[in-house]
Amino acid sequence: MRTRAVLGSLFASTAVLVVGWQAGGAVLANQAIGTTTSAPQASGTSGTTAATVPSATPLPSATATAAPVAAGPADGTYTGSSVNTPFGSVQVAVTLSGGTITDVTAVHLTDADGRSRQISNYAAPMLRSEVLSSQSAHVSNVGGATYTTRGYLQSVQSALDQAGF
Amino acid sequence: MPQRFSTLPRVNHKRTYARRARRADLLVMLLWTSGAAAAALFLASGGAAQFTTPAAIMTSLGIITGLIGTDFILVMLVLAARIPAIDRAIGHDRAIAVHRSLGKPALYLILAHGALLLIGYGMSTGFNPIAEIGPMLALPDMPIAFVGTGLLIAVVVTSLVAVRRKFSYEGWHLVHLLSYIAVAFALPHQLSVGGILADGTVQRAYWIALYLIAFGSIAIFRFIEPTISSLRHRITVSGVTTVAPGVTSIHFAGKNLRSLGASGGQFFIWRFWTKRTWWHSHPISLSAMPTSTSARITVRDLGRGSARISAVPVGTKVSIEGPYGLFSDAARTAPKLAIIAAGIGVTPIRAFLEHARFAPGEATILLRASTEEETYHWDEIRDIAAAKGALCYVMIGHRSPVGAGWMSESDVRRGVTLAAAFPDLARSDVYLCGPTAWLDLVEKDVRATRIPAHQIHAERFDW
Repeated sequence: MRTRAVLGSLFASTAVLVVGWQAGGAVLANQAIGTTTSAPQASGTSGTTAATVPSATPLPSATATAAPVAAGPADGTYTGSSVNTPFGSVQVAVTLSGGTITDVTAVHLTDADGRSRQISNYAAPMLRSEVLSSQSAHVSNVGGATYTTRGYLQSVQSALDQAGF
Repeated sequence: MPQRFSTLPRVNHKRTYARRARRADLLVMLLWTSGAAAAALFLASGGAAQFTTPAAIMTSLGIITGLIGTDFILVMLVLAARIPAIDRAIGHDRAIAVHRSLGKPALYLILAHGALLLIGYGMSTGFNPIAEIGPMLALPDMPIAFVGTGLLIAVVVTSLVAVRRKFSYEGWHLVHLLSYIAVAFALPHQLSVGGILADGTVQRAYWIALYLIAFGSIAIFRFIEPTISSLRHRITVSGVTTVAPGVTSIHFAGKNLRSLGASGGQFFIWRFWTKRTWWHSHPISLSAMPTSTSARITVRDLGRGSARISAVPVGTKVSIEGPYGLFSDAARTAPKLAIIAAGIGVTPIRAFLEHARFAPGEATILLRASTEEETYHWDEIRDIAAAKGALCYVMIGHRSPVGAGWMSESDVRRGVTLAAAFPDLARSDVYLCGPTAWLDLVEKDVRATRIPAHQIHAERFDW
């Protein structure tokens, strides 16, 4: 009788683990599809924000001062595309002034769970200061916040692209 | 009289045992599979892809240990809930034995859960693990989860054999009740901080269902059902009689007591509602089968608690939990019956013999006592044995210093052996009941005959 219980437990446990693993594989596959399909979606929405935000938010004075500079991107706040990650979407707004990046503000950060929020809270300030000091989206990864970093920088890049920075 | 019993259809004990063993095996399978299912929750959230960096591996293992550890604690609650189906399949004793054996592993898993996550987070952020505690406590629901872990440590430490001896049963039990709070405190952080049990997932539904089953079975079978049963049967003490010096029978009056469905050999947990005794509950076997209006237990004044209950006044209100235990006819596995009981341990045997169904010649009884004074209820047992056609031996005298130590010295010297008293032992269910030290000796002697373990039914009796 004991043998039957042991064998039954082994069998049932293995079956449950395999089912869990398979379900996990399906979840991962969906996430992969999600990020690839959401990329064009994101650029689509960035297209609309590019059409509305830069024309709407730049101050009249900013466009006026931008004209003489001519070559540089127009001053103003550009909202980047929203990038999906397994831990929630990431979207940032970049403020340009006089041809430099003067501020990066978070519109939305990874927030799928408490741990993701915690990571967002410590990674975002680091990423912001790195982007400001390097004046680009080409900054190193923040340890332990790989997804947040990737989404953050992608969103920064799309904002910079809109501005023609 | 004997013909009344011979007309009974012969019960096929092998078949009933096979059915019970199937249910017991199913429970074992459920236990282990629930542990695997906890790990599967992590895999189903795409956890397999997390085993990439050392930090992620630490974090993933931390999540898995937390899930399995919590699952074990919930299983422990279910085992301690005295669910009738579990009691019938494996008996209260074994359920509690499994409950105990899971205690330390569950605590280690929970401690590993905390340590691995602190290390994993520390590795990914570059902080040392201790420095991770601060930011972690800042998360919602985490402070009470830390408190829960502290309570869990207290519960397990007070249950270590060496520590438990220093506590009274009530003190220990009060600390043990904290485990409900510990497990409840752990739930919020599982649902909010962990990504595995995120809103709207199947994993979350499964996990909440586990919590509901564990706490639901405790609420129903430990609190609601006993309360309703006590209110319905309105049991009061109807008399206290002295059986021998220091041994008393407590008689109860109540309503519809047969419908309690007790089997001979089972016990109830009794609580006597007087000012001095209400806070102490006593697990005591029936010493006779209940009629519809009366029941009886027989106790020996050993603990201070039992001394007090033998002095309760007539009319005292009594609340009960039970019946519990598999030391009954329901545990039969073999065609013959061998019963050995000593001292106050004869009381459940007395009820067992009255209730059990067996054919004339099927059962052999051996009663042990140190002195003539300790032959409690032997007259009643002899009467039942005569009426039902069971063979009854008696053995009086102090334990033998030579040979089989559970027998009396004069009988050992006469050449009496277990095999001589029970020639059919190999095909018998052996029911043993008596003081622990004595019972260990008998059980050793019985096991030496290499009869299958499932044919041995032992109830250790120290009050």
